[in-house]
Amino acid sequence: MTGPFAWFKWEALFAEWTVFGEGALMTLAASMLALALSLALGVMFGVMSTSHWKIAKAISRIYVEFIQNTPLVIQIFFYYHGLPHLGLSLPVFSIGVLGVGVYHGAYISEVVRAGIQSIPKGQREAAYSQGLNYVETMKYIILPQAKRIVLPPLANQAVSLVKNTSVLAMIAGGDLMYRADSWSSQNLYYGPAYVTTGILYLMLCLPLASLARNLEKKAEVHA
Amino acid sequence: MIKDLFKAENLMFLMQGLAVTLTIAVATILLSIMIGTILGIARHSRNKALSRMSGVYIESVRNVPMLLFILAVRFMTPLNAVVSGIVAMTIFTSAVIAEIVRAGLNSIGQGQWEAAKSQGLNHVTTLVHIVLPQALRNITPALVSQFITVVKDTSFVWAVGTEELTGRAIILMGKHNNPVQVFTLFGLVAAIYFIPNYVLSHMAHWRQRKILH
Amino acid sequence: MKGKFTILAAALLSTIVVLSGCSGGQKAPAAAKLAPEIQAIKDRGVLKVGTKVDVPKFGYKDPKSGKIEGFEVDIAKAIAKKILGDENKVDLQGVTAKTRGPLLDNGEIDIVAATFTITDERKKSYNFSDPYFTDGIGLLVKKESGIKSLKDLNGKKIGVAQSATTKKAIQEEADKQGIKLSFLEFGTYPEIKSALDAGRVDCFSVDTAILYGYLDDKTELLLDRFSPQTYGIASKKSNEALAKLINDTINELKSNGEIDKLKSKWGLK
Repeated sequence: MTGPFAWFKWEALFAEWTVFGEGALMTLAASMLALALSLALGVMFGVMSTSHWKIAKAISRIYVEFIQNTPLVIQIFFYYHGLPHLGLSLPVFSIGVLGVGVYHGAYISEVVRAGIQSIPKGQREAAYSQGLNYVETMKYIILPQAKRIVLPPLANQAVSLVKNTSVLAMIAGGDLMYRADSWSSQNLYYGPAYVTTGILYLMLCLPLASLARNLEKKAEVHA
Repeated sequence: MIKDLFKAENLMFLMQGLAVTLTIAVATILLSIMIGTILGIARHSRNKALSRMSGVYIESVRNVPMLLFILAVRFMTPLNAVVSGIVAMTIFTSAVIAEIVRAGLNSIGQGQWEAAKSQGLNHVTTLVHIVLPQALRNITPALVSQFITVVKDTSFVWAVGTEELTGRAIILMGKHNNPVQVFTLFGLVAAIYFIPNYVLSHMAHWRQRKILH
Repeated sequence: MKGKFTILAAALLSTIVVLSGCSGGQKAPAAAKLAPEIQAIKDRGVLKVGTKVDVPKFGYKDPKSGKIEGFEVDIAKAIAKKILGDENKVDLQGVTAKTRGPLLDNGEIDIVAATFTITDERKKSYNFSDPYFTDGIGLLVKKESGIKSLKDLNGKKIGVAQSATTKKAIQEEADKQGIKLSFLEFGTYPEIKSALDAGRVDCFSVDTAILYGYLDDKTELLLDRFSPQTYGIASKKSNEALAKLINDTINELKSNGEIDKLKSKWGLK
């Protein structure tokens, strides 16, 4: 039996399971750091895009439009193959965190903006009339209310983010997809490698996806 | 230096890559709308088995990176480079669109179904003529942003050596490798992706505003 | 364009053959002697071959004419002639180190003639013909790096292609010399070249034949050659009859001196 799922290919995979284990850990680590970065960028640019300060608004628009309308692969290639020509050679793991974080930061920024804009204008005006400044109004009045609307799409962004760390495979990044791809292309046992990799990604993403589902249900009940 | 890069044969080489990108993107979008709508309706249906089956498909596909499907379809089926890209991306995108369609159907109140029923319309007629058109309007922005994602994500097929726009830019970079040429290439390719995506995303906003008024 | 036309013509031809076979029923006995997989190629009227498109002299797509040409293309043509009686009945498809194995498995191509090194591990998955060429692994570095030999690469990064035998071979040599190297794997050669240009890797290492295609005024090919590799024509493991036929063809080319003529035609040693 020499089919793509031949038993000896599975045996080889089980014997070298650490290749996949290490890859999954790296994907997990890159995902968590990228998520933290994207949340920070998303809240910052999301708030900026609703401010009355024109420059802040413009910067936020440029960031969102540019990042959302160009492929992640191109952005990652730019950090990897482009920046070194300017003397800036970031390590590949940092590129994963930075590239994926910046990419999803733009999407989260839009989620945050929509959340803020869903809160009626009167609330903001009422807060100002009470003497609160812009940051205080956001922090104490608007963002806590926007949270309910923002959380479900945020959880969905987290799922996309974990999946998109697989772009690291295209720059020899050492993540799960790279390990699977490299391992299977060396010995050509790609059948078992892909199935195992799929299951590992499901294990990383399904909990986040069901969190998103629950948050959505909650939001619907409140609405 | 720049002149070297902007030779007719290089531009032609990139445009052929763009043609591959667009072929894959357009075919994926069309096929995914069809399959995704059917899956979404099945997911929303009251038939438990049907709903569960489509649910399993949607969840198990949506939670795995599309790149994995690109590798698997390319290396484990007899399809050629472009077709295998389309199939892989359609497997993935249909699941995403099914979720969007399901959410759209959920957004239409139960009252609409009941009202249609009281008027003597059957289930299918109600779905096709009453519920779907309204749902479609609600989900247009989500659909358009998914289309943009499809156009961008075609660049993942370069991982299996399919020479679409991104891949061809990298190939050119191997020959035109001084900093000015490298950055010009990045800028050019980013612009090629940016312009249609920007227009598409703003058309959606514009349409949305028209509906609201 | 021409490729498509050939396929179309071949498809028409095979339809006619099949139709006439059905109505007449006289050609069937002769065909029955052939193994089914070779018969399938005959019915199709064209041999589907995976070749390189970016390795000058072996398999290279001329950007002007759009034609794939080279030593391995000529060998593929000889095999097509053996099976189909016409050396032009080949459908060439570009493959990379990474795609050639899977495409053979999934039936998109019948044979691979693409600087495919014969190894024991690969023999488990595919049938290989006897070798038709021997090539060493080479090292391509930036001129400005001042690297002159493998020893100078101690502690540096080597860019290699996925699915290539390079990593293992260079690692063994490094162990012998007592130096440490790290490897980064890429899916395509242009990416490794770009990584070399960007300083992501210090050395681009694959079979020497391939490196010649990437040599430019900023890079140089070191004189070191490692672990001579032999190239063979690969076919599907289950397809024993085709493998034998390929091997017979290769040995014929060797014994009648044809292979040496081809080598000198392409300027290969």
